[in-house]
Amino acid sequence: MDGIVLTLWLVRLLFLALLYVFLFAVVRVLLRDLRVASRGPAELGRLVVVASPRGEPLPGAFFQLDAVTTIGRDVNNSIVVDDPFASADHAVLTFRGRAWYVEDLASTNGTFLNAIAVEGIAEVGFGDELQVGEVRLRLDRGRS
Amino acid sequence: MSIAAQARPFASAGTRIRPRIRTTETALLALVAVTLLVGAASLGATQRLIEAGKAGESLASLDFGAPDPVALVVYLGTIGLVHVAFILAGRRIDQVLLPAVALLGGIGLLLMQRLPQDLVEQEFAGLVLGLGQLQAMWLLIAIAVIGALALGVRSDAWLRNYKYTWAAAGIGLLLLTFVFGSEVNGARLTLSIGPISGQPSELLKVILVVFLAGYLSENRSLLAEESTRLGPLRLPPIPYLAPMGVMWAIALGIVVVQRDLGAALLFFAVFLAMLYVATGRLSYVVGGLILFIAGAFVLYHLFGHVQQRVDNWLDPWADPSGAGFQVVQALYALGRGGLLGMGLGAGLPTIGGRLPVPAVHTDYPLAALGEELGLIGLLAILGLYLVVVERGLRIAAAAHDDFRSILAAGLALVMGIQAFIIAAGNLKLIPLTGITLPLISYGGSSLLANAIVVGLLLALSDRGAGAPAPPRRRRGPIARLRRARA
Repeated sequence: MDGIVLTLWLVRLLFLALLYVFLFAVVRVLLRDLRVASRGPAELGRLVVVASPRGEPLPGAFFQLDAVTTIGRDVNNSIVVDDPFASADHAVLTFRGRAWYVEDLASTNGTFLNAIAVEGIAEVGFGDELQVGEVRLRLDRGRS
Repeated sequence: MSIAAQARPFASAGTRIRPRIRTTETALLALVAVTLLVGAASLGATQRLIEAGKAGESLASLDFGAPDPVALVVYLGTIGLVHVAFILAGRRIDQVLLPAVALLGGIGLLLMQRLPQDLVEQEFAGLVLGLGQLQAMWLLIAIAVIGALALGVRSDAWLRNYKYTWAAAGIGLLLLTFVFGSEVNGARLTLSIGPISGQPSELLKVILVVFLAGYLSENRSLLAEESTRLGPLRLPPIPYLAPMGVMWAIALGIVVVQRDLGAALLFFAVFLAMLYVATGRLSYVVGGLILFIAGAFVLYHLFGHVQQRVDNWLDPWADPSGAGFQVVQALYALGRGGLLGMGLGAGLPTIGGRLPVPAVHTDYPLAALGEELGLIGLLAILGLYLVVVERGLRIAAAAHDDFRSILAAGLALVMGIQAFIIAAGNLKLIPLTGITLPLISYGGSSLLANAIVVGLLLALSDRGAGAPAPPRRRRGPIARLRRARA
């Protein structure tokens, strides 16, 4: 009888121990995941080309963004938009602190954020759409 | 700036599905299966030993068979099937959530098999199912829902674009419960339509999170603005404060009409947490808490049932065999459990054929688990909820737009906060009327709602199908021949 009780006691403790083995294994996975996520300079964001009637930039392409990204028809811009409705220096995207902002550089036809004209400077959330000329671009969070 | 090199159309990826091995998930699920089988063995052996003790026999050897091996094996098998489906679909879905959820569900299943089976009985076509079998059935449906949502939800547009429709549906559901709900134990929670009865507040919490995620991601920048000044307070534009007021009113309405303190607390806490996630402003949380405390104070003085709950909580020993019975018995159960617990199946002595803790299978599972697994076991279970919340917040951090991010954070927090509230209530930290412990408590509505939460989280964690592996160079005689010919 005592042997039975002892075995049972050990099985009970084994169950509790296994719960902690599982937690330990999970925590190891989580730590590894966090370490990978914190390694290296993360992307600040990316611009995905949603629509581009003239094919420059290519629809479906994306651009990894630096903290200051200029958009326009001039070839010296970070993102060149070859569109007759875009100005040479059309707009600039800046990352300040925790959020992205777009500024219209007095372009002829304006810059639109979610179909609303940008006056001065406006905050851009991830998932928002920018329109420069006839080209529509969506801001996405960068991959880690 | 590295541009054109990475520029490639999205369409090229994932035209062909390739299975993708998920080593972490496989290993963790194997561990879950072993843990649950050991738990079932411990439970079965303890029950046999107690039966033998009652009959005055002494056992020569102990049979470590599980009490209901079929249900457990079918449960583990279903989870295995979902796992295989994830592998075959080749997506990069989170690998930790499913094992954690499977372990929580399995512990719930063991607990339901251990409690007296006649606590809940339902008859299907002449077949009488007890508590354990019903729970197993609901768990199978829940696992299927998790798998279906994780693989089936490829686009979030149906959640994002119809947020006001969802909100309307939610409020409709709430009103239906207010009007047609039936009262059980002094709380009007259950809605019966024909043969189906359920607790809409469980589903409501998911709808609430979806609506808030849509609303907050759309109006984020406006809410973070400070344009209205009210004395020393700086507030966002008045129209955007309206949802806050509406939420507050809904929470109070639930307390008054439904007499459901737990759900009201859950909804309001989730609302404040999501508001903080979206705007990052602590002043909203402080303002919301002040509103909540003011509301709670007024309700306490106006309504008898609130007063009674609070009195039970402050001093359950004033009436230990009446109003305070449940709280007192739960505390005794936790005390009996101690550090290591009495062992699965060895706790909860019945008093005159009745269980010591009323509603132990729905509102007080933590009291039973605390008695049988002890402090060590309870901490492990709370740790599992923490794992679920951590995964949810990581999914939120990695999501690539605001809606998905806020939605994932909200879904993870709704489960975490619910577990926290019910744990606090069971341990007599806060006054409570019952809500369920996610994934462990008995009940179809609760399991299904939480399955939807987990399924959506898994779908949100999906980083798309992996790029197809590069074509492998064929080795062997035929390939060599071909190369020679070329």
